[in-house]
Amino acid sequence: MGRLRYTTVRLLQAIPVLLGVVTITFFLTDAIPGDPVQIMLGPSPSAQQADAIRAKFGLDQPLYVRYVNYLADVVRLDLGESIYYGVPVTQKIMERLPVTLFLLLSSFTFALCTAVPLGILSAKRRNEPTDHVSRIVALFGVSTPSFWIGLMLIIVFSFKLGWLPATNIVLPWADPASLDAVDPDASWLVARWQVVATSAKHLVLPMITLGTLQMAAFTRIERSSMLEVLGEEYVKLARAYGVSEFTIVRKHAFRNAQLPLLTLVGLQLTSALGGAVLTETVFSINGMGRLIITAINNQDFPLVMGTTLVFGLVFVIGVIITDLSYALVDPRVSFEGSE
Amino acid sequence: MTDEDNIFHTNRRRVLQGLGGAGAAALAGCLGGDDSGDTNGSDGSDGSGGSGNDSTGSGGGGSGSGSSGGKLKMALVKSPLDFDPFVANDVPSTQVIDRIVEGLYTYDETTGVVPLLADGEPQANDDGTEYTVTIKDGATFSNGDPVTAEDVKYSFLAPVEEETENASELNMIDSISTDGEKSVTFTLKYPYAPFPNTLTWYVVPKSVREEDKDAFNAGDTLVGSGPYTFESWQEGNYARIAANTDYWDEPKPMLDEVEFVPVEEATTRVTTLKNGENDIIEEIPPKQYPTVEAIGDASVDEVPGIGYFYLAFNCKTGPTADPKVREAIDYTFSMDTAVGNYVEPTGVRQYSPLPKSIAEDWNMPLDQWKEIPHDKDVDKAATMLEEAGVSKDYQFKVIVPPDDKREQIGITVSNGLKEAGYNCSVQRLDWGAFLDKYVSGDENEYNMYTLGWSGTPDPDAFTYYLFGRTEDTLGVTNGTYWGENSEAGKQAAEKFVQARKTNSQEERQTLYQEGITTLLEERAHLPAYNLKNSFGVKDYVSDFTSHPVNSFTLTTDFNNVSVDK
Repeated sequence: MGRLRYTTVRLLQAIPVLLGVVTITFFLTDAIPGDPVQIMLGPSPSAQQADAIRAKFGLDQPLYVRYVNYLADVVRLDLGESIYYGVPVTQKIMERLPVTLFLLLSSFTFALCTAVPLGILSAKRRNEPTDHVSRIVALFGVSTPSFWIGLMLIIVFSFKLGWLPATNIVLPWADPASLDAVDPDASWLVARWQVVATSAKHLVLPMITLGTLQMAAFTRIERSSMLEVLGEEYVKLARAYGVSEFTIVRKHAFRNAQLPLLTLVGLQLTSALGGAVLTETVFSINGMGRLIITAINNQDFPLVMGTTLVFGLVFVIGVIITDLSYALVDPRVSFEGSE
Repeated sequence: MTDEDNIFHTNRRRVLQGLGGAGAAALAGCLGGDDSGDTNGSDGSDGSGGSGNDSTGSGGGGSGSGSSGGKLKMALVKSPLDFDPFVANDVPSTQVIDRIVEGLYTYDETTGVVPLLADGEPQANDDGTEYTVTIKDGATFSNGDPVTAEDVKYSFLAPVEEETENASELNMIDSISTDGEKSVTFTLKYPYAPFPNTLTWYVVPKSVREEDKDAFNAGDTLVGSGPYTFESWQEGNYARIAANTDYWDEPKPMLDEVEFVPVEEATTRVTTLKNGENDIIEEIPPKQYPTVEAIGDASVDEVPGIGYFYLAFNCKTGPTADPKVREAIDYTFSMDTAVGNYVEPTGVRQYSPLPKSIAEDWNMPLDQWKEIPHDKDVDKAATMLEEAGVSKDYQFKVIVPPDDKREQIGITVSNGLKEAGYNCSVQRLDWGAFLDKYVSGDENEYNMYTLGWSGTPDPDAFTYYLFGRTEDTLGVTNGTYWGENSEAGKQAAEKFVQARKTNSQEERQTLYQEGITTLLEERAHLPAYNLKNSFGVKDYVSDFTSHPVNSFTLTTDFNNVSVDK
């Protein structure tokens, strides 16, 4: 019950945060020089054409009226119509969001699966060659822009070696009939397997591209956290009792060392969302990142607002999930006291 | 055009926009010249698309008989957005539409207007205000309906009546009358010599479009008379067209299916050609040419497009209103060097507002025009600027759109002015801000700007809109205001207006030649370059042809593409 109330309170607390996101984005977007109607119609639109489009999208209204109207629409879950695409913003977001979430989830999985063992190994073998290599890898990951990593991966694995495709992501639940890689005469099971295999091939490079930064940051925090825990008195006591190092790490140190990592996972969502914009551009992935770029380039106000709001929402939810997961890792964490 | 990322495609008349090389394109040189490795063809490419080619077919063009020529997968820079030709206003959309919907006339291998749905040349009256066209017998839409005079009338009037984004293409038409099922007469509001180019406008079946315009635009009910039919589309992922097996004309398409996929990043696009994800890619950036040429089983197919990129001066206010200052600025840098460094081989140097093919067709004095730009002479520039009374404290301002090539031209001018001892800043603006500013004529906004223009293959498209002093051009598409302080400029602008209303080709030629010579000498513009329509093409693709006006062609009188992997 405590967890439910805690979650509810956190979700309610997110409302002013999202209101702030909407407000700041709304006024910043309006302050951008240029006219979306001119971008849409070119340099010599007729006055009637321009007026009709301004009226259609409410751009002929005073700013405060547009703001109030927009807030009212958002409350009704209506994010308006995209000026550039001419379809509801929610429709575009629903088309693109699964791809980006799939990419984010995959990259975080990749990052955690590599960072946790690397961090532990690095901590256990402090100042040994393994530690040095791990730290260099982490430093490289933190300091290298994701688009550069993406291009290098494309050049090596797609251009030079030709092992992996350079574009797009195939969702594992895609319709087999829509993929050339799937044998049209294959049984349902084989066809599904071919879709998953195709999906995996397309996922590898973007996942590594986006996940490397996360992996590097996680490795560093995992190492330092593990070093700290391994220096605790209760670990020394366990060692004095003759408990094996493997058991000490697995049973006594591991869970306690994960709290800082969990915090970082939530915070890294922002950089991951930013990285997704670049990754999607480099790999021509039709996700939210490219959508927001298109929206900004075309001064598509409703789409800029909608995509920013969704990015904000994803971040807020990610942080709440992170907070909730503390209790899973550390039984001492109680939601009762946090009300 | 293919180099454009985000083009206002007022279809036949458009400002050329483009991101050019994306930020990451600087890494293009990292792609080596490995020409030996065979590659694994990739399979699916998106949520629902791939490049597998199951069918095989023999190549050959010209007069194919509709045999199975395989599936072609082609990477465009952007995704199509609309499929209703009356609404579509971007290049990727028209690249798809052009395969599905035909016009009364089309272009031959170059820029000549030839009949397609029309039977013979249009019959014009003496003063050039009436054109009568007869539709070929047997011309049918892909749904089996015959192409009628009523469909033609509807297709030319609907965009204006509906005030679509393409309305300006057709607003010289006053009325259209039909005579029976096959004869159409266009009456123009004023004599308009380039009208034969307007007759290449799309013809769609009235009944189908009127039934559901949204479905027509989404492609669901899109019907044309072209060699291909619309199949499916997923915005941002792919657009697929299939052979129109009942195509009314010859040759029948050899290809079974064509899939267009957007790949924005240039390095990635080139990679997809190398590893076989795509059979053809469009727009090869300058630094990627050696990479594509080094791919063992691919080559570059290119042709200069119908475009014009330039440096323009604010001739209304500020020091650049003085032709002497403009000439001095011409001395501060070498446009030849700038184009050689930043544009070639993806484009070619251009010495007049007319693309070379048009200038040659019209027998213009290209050699004479080529001599007008000065070689770099900074000392002379400094002297001339001083004589013109430009203060050393004056801050010149160049505005450029978000495109690397045009920014580089701006930076080159800026560096030249700095060498001559003057301050100059280059401001790269987003398109929205740029389009707001470049027609203001205010010296506080700009002294110079770089831009591009594209249009029909007629001198009118490159003179009237860029130098015209009429209500619909001055401060709308003409940001130079040339003629504001110059009688010669005013007269040249009048010649351009007069030329579009003159029927005699000879008279028009004289008017354009005189007007353009004056503008080059007065340096309202410094012409810079024209981009090529460039494509990387796998060797197993036969008969693919880049085209100056239509970007590329798949099935025409002169080519018929097939794929034989």
